[in-house]
Amino acid sequence: MPRAGWWALVVIGIAGAIGFFLLTIPKTIPASALPAHTPDLANGEYMFTAGGCAECHAVPLSKCKDTKTKDKHVLAGGRCMKTEFGIFNVPNISPDKDTGIGKWSTLDFVNAMKRGIAPGGEHLYPAFPYASYQHMTYADLIDLKAYLDTLPAVKNEVPPHDLTFPYNIRRAVGLWQLLYVDGKTLKPDPKLSAELNRGAYLVEGPGHCGECHSPRNFLGGVMQSEAFAGARNPEGRGRIPNITPSDDGIGDWSADDIAYMLETGNTPDFDVIGGNMAPVQENMAKLKPEDRATIAAFLKALPPRPDAVPKSAKKKKKSDQDSDADQGESGGEDGEGGAQKPDGSE
Amino acid sequence: MRKLMMIVCAFAGLAIYATVAISAEDLAAAVKERRDLMKKTVAPSAKLGGQMVKGVEPFDADKAAKAMNDISGVPDKYVTLFPKGTEHGAIKDSEATPKVWEDFDNFKAIAMKLKDASAKAAGAAAQGKGTFTAAFNDMTKVCKECHETYREKLEQ
Repeated sequence: MPRAGWWALVVIGIAGAIGFFLLTIPKTIPASALPAHTPDLANGEYMFTAGGCAECHAVPLSKCKDTKTKDKHVLAGGRCMKTEFGIFNVPNISPDKDTGIGKWSTLDFVNAMKRGIAPGGEHLYPAFPYASYQHMTYADLIDLKAYLDTLPAVKNEVPPHDLTFPYNIRRAVGLWQLLYVDGKTLKPDPKLSAELNRGAYLVEGPGHCGECHSPRNFLGGVMQSEAFAGARNPEGRGRIPNITPSDDGIGDWSADDIAYMLETGNTPDFDVIGGNMAPVQENMAKLKPEDRATIAAFLKALPPRPDAVPKSAKKKKKSDQDSDADQGESGGEDGEGGAQKPDGSE
Repeated sequence: MRKLMMIVCAFAGLAIYATVAISAEDLAAAVKERRDLMKKTVAPSAKLGGQMVKGVEPFDADKAAKAMNDISGVPDKYVTLFPKGTEHGAIKDSEATPKVWEDFDNFKAIAMKLKDASAKAAGAAAQGKGTFTAAFNDMTKVCKECHETYREKLEQ
């Protein structure tokens, strides 16, 4: 290559590095954006429940992979989540000053929740679902922070995440944030009823339902065009159900059926839910009945969508009817799917 | 002495043979049988009871008691249908997570809780809908406790 060519490469390289640096500069919310608001601890606790903070941050029962916890109010972290990106070790968010978030100001907390930025400008990985939490109101976030401050401070140093390349380049999360994070509170749609707006807020904000129920593209961003149409299980095998009102989804559930499931864990067929939805449902059971009803109403009003992830179970159902001797499928549960479905199982 | 040794060895051999002799068909049969117990006995009974609780069906104490007794008859048999090698991924149609075998005693304990809770719900039916509802809801909590850890659903 001629010398001029080498120089061009060097220049492009430097320009790329500068571009990367500029694009990934942490974007934060200024203190002036915070409204004057006297924290309401009861609402903070309500948001804590709706947001399912404990499901990831409470200390696991014994082993780090345990999904059961000792005490939902001890948020000293330590859970490990095995995903296709590597292992996430869930941080301590108890108010301990050294190992938790005891030194964080309300503004720091708001920036983590709305911008995915920790104090000091560190980008947080979106395994922490701030792409949903960003939609929460300042008032709710201030209340939540005040409530978290009342929980026990526990010293617990959690090991750093153990991610594979290139996901271990924390700064690159800034690029992801350019695409999926703007820190904007979900605005009520004036065309919709107050009930639907409240449901939308609970589902898309604190409830972060789409983090599991919506499929993601290869960048790990939620595909809005297929929102709530089901997804691969990010931790382990199987799939997360489609919750849109379609044939593939829960079109045959009434709004009451949905609200009843959130209250009791019982589906209309009285097949009792399990897996990671069990603790979520137990949180939903603690919400006000009218809030569960708004969630149900919102889900019923979603556009009906076919499954985003091909349902291997469809084949299965057919083969059940044929009362089969067909063996080709055994153990084929996770072999399905293409490039977007790397095997995340253990 | 040597004779005794031979007999011991023979028995040991037999035991190994018996273990190995659990064929693929036997494993598949165990999966099918345990799933049938859930799908054909437990699920319809739970649905019947649940629809009465929900008010979709009128409350009928006799029907409710029978449904709950049907459920109560399942767990003893159910826990015998988990031979090793029948976890999700190892065999077709299994929804059992590997945790079933990691802590089988706890799995079994929850199954026995279901047996008690459903028997209690059966007894509660005679005391009216309110008492039955409370007992039924206690029972479905046991369902959930087990599904949370030990079931990994294949399909919706």
